[in-house]
Amino acid sequence: MTADPLQLDLLTSRYNYYAVVLLLGIGLYTLIESPNLVKKVIGMNIFQTGIFLFFITLAFRSGGNPPVVTEGGGPYASPLPHVLILTAIVVGVSLTAVALALIVRIYSEYGTLDEETLEGLYYD
Amino acid sequence: MSLSLLEGSLLAFVLCCAVGAALLKDTLASVMAFAAYSLGISIIWLVLQAPDVGLTEAAVGAGIMTILFLLALANTVTPDADSLFESVRWRTVALVGAFVLVMAATVPSLPAIGDPTAPVVGGEVTQYYLEHAYKETQVHNAVTAVLAAYRGFDTLGEAVVVFSAGVVALSVLRREVFA
Repeated sequence: MTADPLQLDLLTSRYNYYAVVLLLGIGLYTLIESPNLVKKVIGMNIFQTGIFLFFITLAFRSGGNPPVVTEGGGPYASPLPHVLILTAIVVGVSLTAVALALIVRIYSEYGTLDEETLEGLYYD
Repeated sequence: MSLSLLEGSLLAFVLCCAVGAALLKDTLASVMAFAAYSLGISIIWLVLQAPDVGLTEAAVGAGIMTILFLLALANTVTPDADSLFESVRWRTVALVGAFVLVMAATVPSLPAIGDPTAPVVGGEVTQYYLEHAYKETQVHNAVTAVLAAYRGFDTLGEAVVVFSAGVVALSVLRREVFA
């Protein structure tokens, strides 16, 4: 990041989006690189929450209130991304539960959770 | 809106926890870092005016998810940690870094955080729900109104997803019971 004022302005007004991008990167790295299957699931969850942060940031309104509508209240944050992300969190937990169940099965079958060892066993 | 101290430190905490979860070699430590990450991010949801999402994240993300991970760890093995952190493979870092750079290049075209004229916040659809939600559903919380009334069938579909995930997890784990 250079010291030129335009770039700095971008950073201070869009900091959450840069955090989103970094979280996606960290999640993707864990998903690709970690040899342990449980940690791959953790990486997937970090990737997911990065996307959640993107949606919730889009719904944010400075000086606004949470979208609980009362007489004369407001302005409000947008409720729609919140609803989408509520659904996505629950679906994410279901996904994690199935992935972890598969991991426990894999362990009871092969006795390891290491990706390379598993690959070796599979091609034998 | 510019970066406040609270938000800045929360984002830094969350990013540090994510890096910890990614690089700690001991799986249990990694799961703990992920639980702290979920808790931090649920506070970020509160700061970003999304209390419903914050509550769900704290209960489901930091609570149930951690229990699931701990159950999985109890039924498997944690690899012997000969070092605290995993070694970083720079080839993958370069690949992911390229992805991050491409994504970061799109950030300047997004609206500034909290801009009231941004398409999502100032859009017609949002205004429709905020104006009509209470009149049509008698629910003050617009998130609940949209979730349970306007998109009720979608929430039913979500329940179906949770149910089938439960069925799949049980049938994967207890295959010999059904055989």
